[in-house]
Amino acid sequence: MQHFALTIIGRDRPGIVSQVTELLYRDGFNIADSSCSILGGQFSMILLISNPEISTKEQFSNSFKSLEETNLSVYIRTLKPGGEIRPELEGELCMISVYGADKPGIVYQVAKELGDRNINITDLNTKLIGDKLKPVYVMMLEAMLPEGSEIEDVEEWMNELKKKLRVDISVRSLAAMEL
Amino acid sequence: MAVRKVLIYPDVHLKEICAPVVNFDESVEQLLQDLVDTMVDAGHSVGIAAPQLGNLRRAAVVDVSKSKLGKKQRNHGLLQMINPEIVEKAGSQIVREGCMSVPDYTGNVTRSESIVVQFLDQKQQLKVIRTEGFEAIAIQHELDHLDGLLFLDRVSSLKTDLFRRKK
Repeated sequence: MQHFALTIIGRDRPGIVSQVTELLYRDGFNIADSSCSILGGQFSMILLISNPEISTKEQFSNSFKSLEETNLSVYIRTLKPGGEIRPELEGELCMISVYGADKPGIVYQVAKELGDRNINITDLNTKLIGDKLKPVYVMMLEAMLPEGSEIEDVEEWMNELKKKLRVDISVRSLAAMEL
Repeated sequence: MAVRKVLIYPDVHLKEICAPVVNFDESVEQLLQDLVDTMVDAGHSVGIAAPQLGNLRRAAVVDVSKSKLGKKQRNHGLLQMINPEIVEKAGSQIVREGCMSVPDYTGNVTRSESIVVQFLDQKQQLKVIRTEGFEAIAIQHELDHLDGLLFLDRVSSLKTDLFRRKK
């Protein structure tokens, strides 16, 4: 079945989720994976959807007109076959916390260390907290360490960055307890 | 030796409240043996509870001594528990848990850091043990099964690992 990624963003207020999902429900869409959250004053929704009756986005993009009218931005991406299937990532999950005085390039420099080594970031969020005059940047990142990369290696790379960026960084294993 | 099939949600047994064991007959011995055998057979498991095998009696086994995480900590080895009850708990810790009955999903759960648990062992001797860390988490997780609770009922934050867990 054809899957689509639906991204919706707009000024946060109560009722966005029900407004969006009512439309999807009425039009016969299934919601598979989704993630929705508040970023600043905006509410953002990312959903993977499908409908047995629908194979192109032209068939339904008009249904979201009413959302646009209430100041929500809607974007639809047509997935390639299999694009809805989660990859089987093997390895050890690791969590990296980075925080310190805000400065340009924190996310990039940390992500580059991982990306250059082909380490997959599976989750990432950042937040600007504290005083307006002295804002603190907080980044939480999850990455899957493939075989051959150890937590200790990540710690070593991050220690270098810590000095360079003058931020605090800690690394720990996120192994789930198998019960 | 009897390795049983581990039931997977939405099997109804997993949401039932189990009954205390009152008749200590052969079937109890057999149940404990099946629990141990199934736990051992499922290589990565450190515990299993009776309802996961479809048996609605209050029994569970835990053994963290063979796991990578658990063996680094002080533990009691194989614990076979009949009518277990947590009589004291202290502290709290957040841990990411996964469960054989809920494949492909893990979630962050808040558990007590240390507990005192009392139970009858395989020889029907009353045992009272104090434990902490991984073993305490495993016991809390298994005992939840006896009350029809899955870790999904205890997830305390939305950060979830959507990727398949390492086998």
